[in-house]
Amino acid sequence: MLFNSYQFIFLFLPVALLGYFLVGRLGHSASVLWLTLSSLVFYSAGNWQFVPLLVASVAFNYAVGFWLISRRLPPAARFAVLATGVAGDLAVLVTFKYAGFLATNLNALFSTGLSISLLLPVGISFYTFTQIAFLVDAYRGKTAHYALPHYALFVTYFPHLIAGPILHHKDIIPQFENPESRRPNPHLILCGLIIFGIGLFKKTGLADGIQPLVALAFGPATPSFDQAWIGALAYSFQLYFDFSGYSDMAIGISLMFGIFLPLNFNSPYKAASIIDFWRRWHMTLSQFLRDYLYIPLGGNRHGRLLRYINLMITMALGGLWHGAAWTFVAWGALHGVYLCINHAWNKLVPAAAPRFAPLARLTAWLLTFVSVVVAWVLFRADSMASALVILSKMADPTHIVFGKAEIADGLFIAACAAIAWFAPNTQAIMGYDHRNRIVGADIDAWRWRPAFLYAGAAVLAFGILGISQHSEFIYFRF
Amino acid sequence: MSKPSKLLLRFLGASLLTLAAAATLNFVVDPLQLFRPAKLFAAMYSPDSRMQDAGLIRSQDFDTVFMGTSLAIHFRQSDIDRLLGVRSLKLSMTGSSSHEQSFVLAAALERHPARVIWQVDDWIFHDAPEVDQDIYLPADLYRRNARGVVGYLFSGAMARESAWILARSIPPLRPIVARLTNGIMFKFPIASVDDINTLRPEVDVAQAYNAKKATASFANITAPARSAYLAEGYDYEATVRNFERDAIGLITGHPDVAFDIYLPPYSILQWVAMRDASPTTLATVYKFSAYLAERLVQFRNVRLYDFRGVEQVTHDLSNYADVIHHSPAVDLQVLGWLAAGKYLVDREAPTEALDQLEAQVAAYRVDAELR
Repeated sequence: MLFNSYQFIFLFLPVALLGYFLVGRLGHSASVLWLTLSSLVFYSAGNWQFVPLLVASVAFNYAVGFWLISRRLPPAARFAVLATGVAGDLAVLVTFKYAGFLATNLNALFSTGLSISLLLPVGISFYTFTQIAFLVDAYRGKTAHYALPHYALFVTYFPHLIAGPILHHKDIIPQFENPESRRPNPHLILCGLIIFGIGLFKKTGLADGIQPLVALAFGPATPSFDQAWIGALAYSFQLYFDFSGYSDMAIGISLMFGIFLPLNFNSPYKAASIIDFWRRWHMTLSQFLRDYLYIPLGGNRHGRLLRYINLMITMALGGLWHGAAWTFVAWGALHGVYLCINHAWNKLVPAAAPRFAPLARLTAWLLTFVSVVVAWVLFRADSMASALVILSKMADPTHIVFGKAEIADGLFIAACAAIAWFAPNTQAIMGYDHRNRIVGADIDAWRWRPAFLYAGAAVLAFGILGISQHSEFIYFRF
Repeated sequence: MSKPSKLLLRFLGASLLTLAAAATLNFVVDPLQLFRPAKLFAAMYSPDSRMQDAGLIRSQDFDTVFMGTSLAIHFRQSDIDRLLGVRSLKLSMTGSSSHEQSFVLAAALERHPARVIWQVDDWIFHDAPEVDQDIYLPADLYRRNARGVVGYLFSGAMARESAWILARSIPPLRPIVARLTNGIMFKFPIASVDDINTLRPEVDVAQAYNAKKATASFANITAPARSAYLAEGYDYEATVRNFERDAIGLITGHPDVAFDIYLPPYSILQWVAMRDASPTTLATVYKFSAYLAERLVQFRNVRLYDFRGVEQVTHDLSNYADVIHHSPAVDLQVLGWLAAGKYLVDREAPTEALDQLEAQVAAYRVDAELR
């Protein structure tokens, strides 16, 4: 089921919310069970054939986690249990997500004639990573013994199930256990609705609106210089509004249930370096990769060279996580190169003199943004060959069309850019503080409260009015 | 009631009011003329024929429906009416499959026209997925079911068009709004139904249609890197299945309607490209053409015209913008042939025209400079 659908907004969400608070009167377990069942219903709409896989994955990981937490095993046995759990998770992920890719590559190398085509279970990358983190923490002795219903809800919780944010058990399960969350809180529901409305508008008004422009670069026709840039910029903003819109909607929905989800975006296109960009873009994935891949690889503890190698491995695998194609690996590796350069620059080049600081910051921001846009070409292109064609057109200003349509497209992109670069982000507007569980503290204090309230209502309405057709979120494919 | 509860109710109320206002605006202005022909406000039309046709079927008076792909998109209804003595409604859709066409025609036939003029070719039948899988065709608008009507009324994009049409209907604003109306910003820029998807007056026909463009297109599609496209997707069995479902199903379901079906005059280069780049595709197309002709002549309410072998048109490359799309001058010739009953396929010898075409294709020699 899509957040940006009438069925979700006018049927599923009100029923799930109302049921949660009504059932909550029966007791804590009842509300947790209701929310888990609601989440499975949500997942089964359009993905019913993968519900058993999801349930089996939850049961398997809970059992492995239970073993690690409850049994006093010798270190070698503990490690074997962890390795079994992680290997089991990765085996399922590899089977569904990467088997076709592996077969294609084997074919290319050895002409095996092997062909594998499996449907990708929606959300598998997200719920696999969520649970691997749980197993690793259980192995490290950093988890409490959670009840099965709480654990099942932690994994399947519908606001995050399909495309994140990637949750951490320590952050979420205690919130499920908090009796306050079972009581309807009009303030949280209002703030949740406003955040949901902002996210919905980002998706239906901005991401879906700019989507047709992407074909200028990535469509069947060979683009000119300006068309290639318009298409690449359009995709950069489409992806941002699509995914950050989804994350806002997830946070808003969860807030209505009294649960604070972590932030996933913090105005990434305002970043003035690639390091800064990765602290602002898909933040929960960055944190996961840092804590469960980069640091276990050695992080920056073994000298500069190994640090760069670890960065490259982490980013290339991060790219592969997004999709089974060399374009994603290349995208990740390119960001790995960017990060290495960025770290080397920070180490070797002294900071600009204070009087040049604003200019240096502007240059750094522009360079960061252009680098990110160039990398998105690899991320979006159907193949390395077409990515190279588009990149070559972006570097060839000898062929420019710049007709009426391109001017109109450019204006639309400029409007999207202005929002991404200069507007406050959702958490700033709403005063959303995930760590301290605070949101909308200023709403009562604002003198312009009615205007803010009605503007929020209009944004939600415009978001709903923008629902025109079946429009999936880009990250559903990952 | 607590203060946050009051705020929440006001928020929900304001959202619902905004939604209701947009729906009311869409209902009153009705840009597609789905509920009533435009009277209060200026009628405006969209070149997006898959969407616009849903409204045209409801709002226009017609006794003849004209259907086809991009090969039939530039015809003027006034020309069809003048040359054939009918009151026509053009519903052609660029790149449309037989299933889309059949679905839209079925909706139009609910208005009981007497005649259908239908441009068909092998291509429309080769891949024809279900209309509900087609994100470009708003099938529920044609069905006028609750989902279609609600989707139309609660559409922000439509509300923007409604507001624009409303502004255009206010006399002091009319000139400036009309000047600002264009297809880039607003989807309903056409003021006359006769102008929908016709060539704009500023288009230089000689520039758009000439032998240089046709030969360049031929060189392009026969280039080794692209020629595989010519062989894509031609599964004979699937093509026949789609033909039976979409064409024969519609014809047998409406025995009281006269179907004038014509096979359009591609340039000879299209056939030669298939001959040279993908002979198996050409053989499949010939085989399907024979099947189509033999099947259609069995129905008394069908007249089949085959213009594919009209040498004076198809061999004159100055008539074409590429290897298949012909000029407006040929549009008028097609209407003239339909009016005169020329190139009507003989029920006793349904593949005779195809045999002539095959002979022309086999004999045609491409100039060396095109290679």
